[in-house]
Amino acid sequence: MKALILSEGVDDPMEPIRKEEFDDQACGSQAPKSKPCPRPKPGEAAGGCSFDGAQITLLPIMDAAHLVHGPVACAGNSWESRGSLSSGPTLSQYGFATDLSNNDIIFGGEKKLKDSIDYIAGRFAPPAIFVYATCVTALIGEDMDAVCKEASGRLGIPVVPVNGPGFVGSKNLGNRLAGDALLQYVIGTGEPEQETPLGVNLIGEYNIAGEMWEIEKLMNQAGITLLSRITGDARYKEITWAHRAKANMVVCSRALLGLAKQMESKYGIPYFEGSFYGAKETTYSLRQMAYLLNDREMERRVDRLTEREENRLSHDLRPYRKILKGKKAVLYTGGVKSWSVISALKELGIQVVGVGTNKSSDEDVQRIADRVSDDTEYIPEGGASRIIKTVRERKADIMIAGGRNMYVAMKEQIPFVDINQERHKAYAGYEGLLRLAKELVDSLDNPIWRLASSPAPWDKEDSYDR
Amino acid sequence: MTVKRRSKPVSVNPLKIGQSLGGILAMQGCYRAMPIVHGSQGCSAFPKALLTRHFREPIAVQTSALQEMDVIFDANRNLEEAINAVLSKHRPDIIGIIGTELTDVAGVDYQSMLKSYKRERNMRGGLAFSVTLPDFRGSLESGFSVTVEAMIDELIQQAGLRGQRNVNSRQITLLPGSYLTPGDVMELKEIVSSFGFEVIALPDISTSLSGHLLTGFSPLTRGGVPLDSMLQSLQSGLTIAFGSSMERPARRLHNALGTPYKVFQSTMGLKASDELFHFLHQISGVPVPIRYCWQRENLLDCMLDAHFQFAGMSAVAALEPDHICSVSSWLEELGVEQKALVTSCETTAVAEMERDVWVGDLDDAEVLGSGADLLISSSHGMAGAERIGAAHLPAGFPIWNELGSYMNVSVGYRGAMEWTNKAGNQLMRREAEHRESSIRHR
Repeated sequence: MKALILSEGVDDPMEPIRKEEFDDQACGSQAPKSKPCPRPKPGEAAGGCSFDGAQITLLPIMDAAHLVHGPVACAGNSWESRGSLSSGPTLSQYGFATDLSNNDIIFGGEKKLKDSIDYIAGRFAPPAIFVYATCVTALIGEDMDAVCKEASGRLGIPVVPVNGPGFVGSKNLGNRLAGDALLQYVIGTGEPEQETPLGVNLIGEYNIAGEMWEIEKLMNQAGITLLSRITGDARYKEITWAHRAKANMVVCSRALLGLAKQMESKYGIPYFEGSFYGAKETTYSLRQMAYLLNDREMERRVDRLTEREENRLSHDLRPYRKILKGKKAVLYTGGVKSWSVISALKELGIQVVGVGTNKSSDEDVQRIADRVSDDTEYIPEGGASRIIKTVRERKADIMIAGGRNMYVAMKEQIPFVDINQERHKAYAGYEGLLRLAKELVDSLDNPIWRLASSPAPWDKEDSYDR
Repeated sequence: MTVKRRSKPVSVNPLKIGQSLGGILAMQGCYRAMPIVHGSQGCSAFPKALLTRHFREPIAVQTSALQEMDVIFDANRNLEEAINAVLSKHRPDIIGIIGTELTDVAGVDYQSMLKSYKRERNMRGGLAFSVTLPDFRGSLESGFSVTVEAMIDELIQQAGLRGQRNVNSRQITLLPGSYLTPGDVMELKEIVSSFGFEVIALPDISTSLSGHLLTGFSPLTRGGVPLDSMLQSLQSGLTIAFGSSMERPARRLHNALGTPYKVFQSTMGLKASDELFHFLHQISGVPVPIRYCWQRENLLDCMLDAHFQFAGMSAVAALEPDHICSVSSWLEELGVEQKALVTSCETTAVAEMERDVWVGDLDDAEVLGSGADLLISSSHGMAGAERIGAAHLPAGFPIWNELGSYMNVSVGYRGAMEWTNKAGNQLMRREAEHRESSIRHR
């Protein structure tokens, strides 16, 4: 498949989906010479490290154990911080760490790692154990791969090394390294229980606040089987048979596009990049799935479903649109959400006057450009102060960003909606857009903004009339 | 009595929070300060996210953003770049360089780098110091106290006091431990100043992390003790430290300036509060203010009311070392059976306790506390409490399942009363739930 033709009826044309040079341009690819991942600037850097990124990608595999090999803080500071929900097993919410001490670092922690793996396998009997390298274990040259291989053979369960120590780079690179681990050790090692001719994998959707469930429901209604969830609310087993899918949808492109690309070259599975934020993007994504599955009947089913859902949504949105029309927002988020949320906001009548491009690939930036007006301000870097400056200068009504900036906005008394991984509301799909509209209205209309900006009675000018 | 450990190769559901986070927390209590974590990006991003989640405030912290090659070749080039950027962009009054396990294992000498940097740039007026806080030693508590100690050391050097100083006997320096909330620090300041003393808390998170509407956002800390006051604290006639971990910084003041000090190991419950008020009364000669006499009666009455609730109940607590000492003495007064006390690392204070203490993780708390009615720990303990059927009382760090936990008060009579009521309410709610389910399933 060299080029994809858009199915009929999509009124928001997307740019060509495939660009062969993408991977060479990608941050953290095999050929970084062409465009290396920008080095984080000391004293001005924000955001997580590669270890963080690797964990985010794999932690939603809910029944697996996730063991951090290093001093305790890498695990101690990070466990239970994601909003990835589970429909059953909770082992991935356990924090496991080898908790290296001074002595372990001097004499080597491999023995401790081996014992830790044995202990976890014995006590929790997980289907698989993921072992994460950290800066310290990478620096002292622990042979994690060998320990994992040996343990895997001995225990008879997969023990997967994830080599993404924090200092190799940014969070994004960590996502990719986690994808590499899946390709190398997991995908293709199992077979589905029954043949599914119309199976699709979702790649890079992490079931934040239960968004995966919303998407899955829609797919099921259209008769599309969700074969492997990579990795939102996933079970280890289902990822082993991901290579039997008929199509891949990449939801968060910056993170795991490489995985989709390699699955295409290795297993011949076509892929497309899409999003579920906003009705249009959702419709487009479902249609694209049906198109790639090459099933006429299904395409008709998807058309009927999306039309029905869009009509219902447009009716339900009416009261919210009235309030939101003409409002201005500054959007500061990473990767796929930088452009896909713009579509969702546009549908609600909100104008995006500033958008962060900090964690966006060139492709993402192109997609942003296709969706915003020319005078929208791009915020490439600079952190909180820079965002606030844009909000003030552009007279934005609301700030939409991640939890890190939430309290920054509160200090400036700017209405705020949390869009990142710690949030508690699902914004994907048709229902999600309605929820987002409600959330925006609730935040904008809140009495607190009036109360917080009014002075105390004794600070007002007029004196008491005796 | 004894410090025990369960034999287990792996930490399951860690209780321990890295030292560097303690260092960052201590810096938040200083006005216009910026901690710079000398490590990879994650070494500052994780603590920042966690502290933000707990305090619901922006947290000032920067990183030297080390990458693989920087660690191998010259990590200090990054640090210099970071300090340059921070100085030119934000002009902080105080800079604290926090070394991590990464720089420790790589053997980076940033202490002498900082010294020559200060010499070359002629950094006068501001305060810049470095601490080494690898995560494979100590815990949040030690990171906090080591940072305060380094801060005091630098203050003493800066002031250049040699024997001579104008002691202000009406001024007291407070050294509040890391387990105290902004609400606690505020309460302690109020209590001590109600005896007619001027109080300087070092650090003072009560004015920086307590939720205030100071104008707008700043990348530096807002609120906290200003550098002027910090320097002035060297003239204090007395140091009062809360928590054994703060004894070392207090001793540092004593050794360098001769300032006498008093350490309060426990800060919770009737007895601990009595000790504090009696002490303040004695050194000031001022009678205990009437509102605290009322509060004492309120507390006793509350304990009488609550004793029905607590009688026959058992609890397990998993907290930082100083905090566990405090909570244990409060549980003692309530007559609650202490099934197990679990802490993150061994300290002398813990070793000298009259009870067995386990050094371990939240999984240990779950196993040792099986059958307990109440589990006292950070929000990380919620799932475990549910598994063993105990009511969960959020305490320590981090707490994200409760609004305003940073304003909770545990010190003084009022604090003991708040905690007693809160714990009692949790137990009551749990009892009601049990009763309900027993009706449903009959």
